[in-house]
Amino acid sequence: MLITLIRRELLDNLMTFRFAATVFIMLLLVVANTFVLIKDYESRLESHNDSVNMHKRQLQETITYSAGSADQISVARPPNPLSIFNVGFDKQLGNEVPIKHVYVPSLWDARTHGSSNPFMDMFASMDLVFIFQVILSLLALIFAYDALAGEYENGTLRLVLTHPIRKGKILVAKYVSAMLCLTIPLLMSLLLALILLTTSTFIVLNTDDFLRIGGIIFTTIVYLSIFYLLGLLISAATRRTSTALMLSMFVWGFLILVYPNMILTVAPRYKAPKERETSAYSKIEQMWKEFDKERKNYLATDDFPGEDWGYDLRGWGSRSAYLTGNSHLLFYKYRSVMKFTGLGEEDEPKIPHARKHFRYLGPRIIDTAEKTWLVRKPALEDIYIHPAKMERIWLKLSPVGLYDQTTEAWAGTDVTGVRDFFDAARQYRKQVIDYFYDMDIFGSRQWFSSDKGAAEWSNLPHFRYKRVDSYTNAMRALPDLCFLLMINIMLFLVIYSVFVKSEV
Amino acid sequence: MVWHIAKRELYDNLNSLRFALATVLLLGLMLTNAVVHLREHPHRVKQYQNGVSKHQNELQSHAENSLFKLAVEGPGDLHKQLSDLRFCAEGGETFLSVYAEGGYGRWSTDRLESFWILAYPTSTPNRKNVRTVVTKVDWGFIIGYVLSLVALLFTFDSISGERERGTLRLTLANSIPRHTVLIGKFIGAFLSVYIPFTLAILVNLLIISTSSDVHLGLDAWGRLGIIFFITILYTCLFLALGLIVSARVQRSAVSLVILLLVWVVFVVFMPNTLASIAGRSKSSGPSLDFWERSEKLHKELSRDYYSNRYKEPEDSPKGLQMDGEYVTKDAEQQEQLHAEQQNQRIEQVIRARSITRLSPVTIVQNLLESFAGTGFERHLQFLENVKSYAKEYRTFIEDTDRADPDSLHIFGVREGMSQKPVNPEAVPTFKDKLDFSKDFNTAATELLLLSLFVLVLLSGAFLAFVRVEV
Repeated sequence: MLITLIRRELLDNLMTFRFAATVFIMLLLVVANTFVLIKDYESRLESHNDSVNMHKRQLQETITYSAGSADQISVARPPNPLSIFNVGFDKQLGNEVPIKHVYVPSLWDARTHGSSNPFMDMFASMDLVFIFQVILSLLALIFAYDALAGEYENGTLRLVLTHPIRKGKILVAKYVSAMLCLTIPLLMSLLLALILLTTSTFIVLNTDDFLRIGGIIFTTIVYLSIFYLLGLLISAATRRTSTALMLSMFVWGFLILVYPNMILTVAPRYKAPKERETSAYSKIEQMWKEFDKERKNYLATDDFPGEDWGYDLRGWGSRSAYLTGNSHLLFYKYRSVMKFTGLGEEDEPKIPHARKHFRYLGPRIIDTAEKTWLVRKPALEDIYIHPAKMERIWLKLSPVGLYDQTTEAWAGTDVTGVRDFFDAARQYRKQVIDYFYDMDIFGSRQWFSSDKGAAEWSNLPHFRYKRVDSYTNAMRALPDLCFLLMINIMLFLVIYSVFVKSEV
Repeated sequence: MVWHIAKRELYDNLNSLRFALATVLLLGLMLTNAVVHLREHPHRVKQYQNGVSKHQNELQSHAENSLFKLAVEGPGDLHKQLSDLRFCAEGGETFLSVYAEGGYGRWSTDRLESFWILAYPTSTPNRKNVRTVVTKVDWGFIIGYVLSLVALLFTFDSISGERERGTLRLTLANSIPRHTVLIGKFIGAFLSVYIPFTLAILVNLLIISTSSDVHLGLDAWGRLGIIFFITILYTCLFLALGLIVSARVQRSAVSLVILLLVWVVFVVFMPNTLASIAGRSKSSGPSLDFWERSEKLHKELSRDYYSNRYKEPEDSPKGLQMDGEYVTKDAEQQEQLHAEQQNQRIEQVIRARSITRLSPVTIVQNLLESFAGTGFERHLQFLENVKSYAKEYRTFIEDTDRADPDSLHIFGVREGMSQKPVNPEAVPTFKDKLDFSKDFNTAATELLLLSLFVLVLLSGAFLAFVRVEV
């Protein structure tokens, strides 16, 4: 009996104008946008490769180790191919971070490639999830508004109920058939998008990526089902098609257009107290001041006369050293760069002293940097990450926000996903430092001068960044996905109780 | 008779669910808009005033020092004047810098100092922002998205609904010309949309204008009037669209489905997709990045300079002449480089913006930006003002130097220029102004385009309704 009901509903839905329109619009939008998004991804990838090559070249041209480690070593975050599905923070946050031994890199030290145009941030960037979010929810409501109200009005419901069928079965049949109808255009358009993706030579998707895409599709279906159930609820409650339609459209407008854009300006903003910032910064500053004292103490007590940090070297080139910081980003560092292309006769006896000094200084700087990171990391969490998380909770109160964030987590373009890259960058910094220690680079002559051969960069460890596996993505997406499923179940129960109690 | 039909439509709508919902929605949005504006605007005003007073103080202290100091350090940062109507159109202002930089102190040697140049700082508020970025709820958003949707929801059944119920046949059985019916329906729908909207706007303006932090002058009210007129045009566009589809389609549900899909494609997707098609950067740019190029230019110039300079004694007029040329040439080159980079970026945005004009919502948002004095076009005007001010400033320095008989008139070196203090009042100060006629010029094409769309759709509605079979 259930099968008969489902078949009837399915045929009813498939033969309608709205189904044809749905398929047409979905295909049109998804294909057109996938095309644009792939092009966009390709140009971002190109810009990424250009930037990587440029930095490689610049590093090779750097003549001393001190100059290289202060300015020239940097790692770039490649664009995430799944940003085509949900762009999240992939485009927005900095995609290049310098690797220096003088501080531990974090998201807040990142910058963007030089070639990007900051004005273009004015235009909103779109992704496939946005299309699903807007269109599919609309279509789900259009499919649902007359599902029950229409039958009440036509009197067909009464006819059906004269047969020995339970009301629950009718509801299930309606739900299953409509969901089938809605998944057809979704899957069709997604398949086309995937075909387009695989034809692009720039995009290489591996098994993990397909699992992630599977996760996104599943989340989309769950999201879709919420809106269908919402429409069904309105339909069951109002009993008139015109009222149901009107109410559905306003609910849609509110949930899609108004709520996500308005809530963050209306909701109370959580902000870490100013003292958190100032206290952490003064702690960090203090550590560096202590380091500076130690450094000066060394200069005063070592067996070389005078307290100049550069040991009065008088070659051809430039030198600079200073402490610098930014209280806003809790950033502080000691920067010292020497770039000599040649040294004079009278410099020769000073060189062993200078090398000893820099050999002493390197580990001290690294120690201080690691120590300040222990203060900086939790402070950054409190000041930036925590308020952002609180804000996202407000957005999660609507299914749209939940859906957006779940797919972000699947695609790995959420803040956590982007921060994985910075974890990798920190790992890489450790490797570079180990390499520096192994080669005794701090104590080498090339640290400050290239007169006996320039710095050799070709043996520097390579940076490799691999995104986390799909299991981790799934774990990150799971809580929000569960919320989405819960909303589904609750809505279904509400509709069931409304429908069963209603008189025909 | 027109009024009779319009009145009937209006009364029908006033009692309906959609009227209540639309009123609540629009009022809520407009209230939010006003509250947010009042919360954010005073801070911006303060920032602007600080910037302006800093600029003036710098000029004064430099002028009291010497003309040379004025020539070296320049006018400082030049701030963009704020628009009081930013609540009407945000216009991506957060991505546009609020000032242009009079940059100085790029380099110095023991004898020479770099001259100031005009540079363009960028504004990238989201680079380190881990918070979710959302669209600002400004009038542009409320009108562009919400009001257009409301307009469709009020018209989708105005003809097809009557046909379904059979009342259309009844109406047309009387001796009323069809166009009268259509105009009556149009006016009725228009009034039903505009009553809640005007109410919401009035509440919004009431809150904003009674606050002590915002002062709306006569000019601002004039601009608001034009914005209201644009809104009317835009709404008419969607009302006409609704009437066309409603007249051609037999069932109102189908009519709504078509309208919503059209709306989604034109309003939600076209602006975004078109912008990303048009805005893709052509990565045929030079392989060197900006700072590398700047450094290279400077190095080449220095090499030429130093290879000739040592032949001349330090204080000889010829030597000073060379010094001066070196410094001024360097400033010229660097400024040129900054301008080139800025122009490339601007061109890319202009390309993207010109294509997005195909979507009515972008047109109306651009129009609102123009008349609210915000957005990209306004930023370009500001940059023009800055450039002409820089010219004026440099001419002033030259003229004053020429007027000083003790000066050697060699630009770029301390010894070659006037060392006397200047009357601070005589130094030109930068005053950015919103120029109504310029705003109108930039908006004219779009205004015409919008009117054209409206006319085409209105006549379309007329034809559709005249040919309709009852």
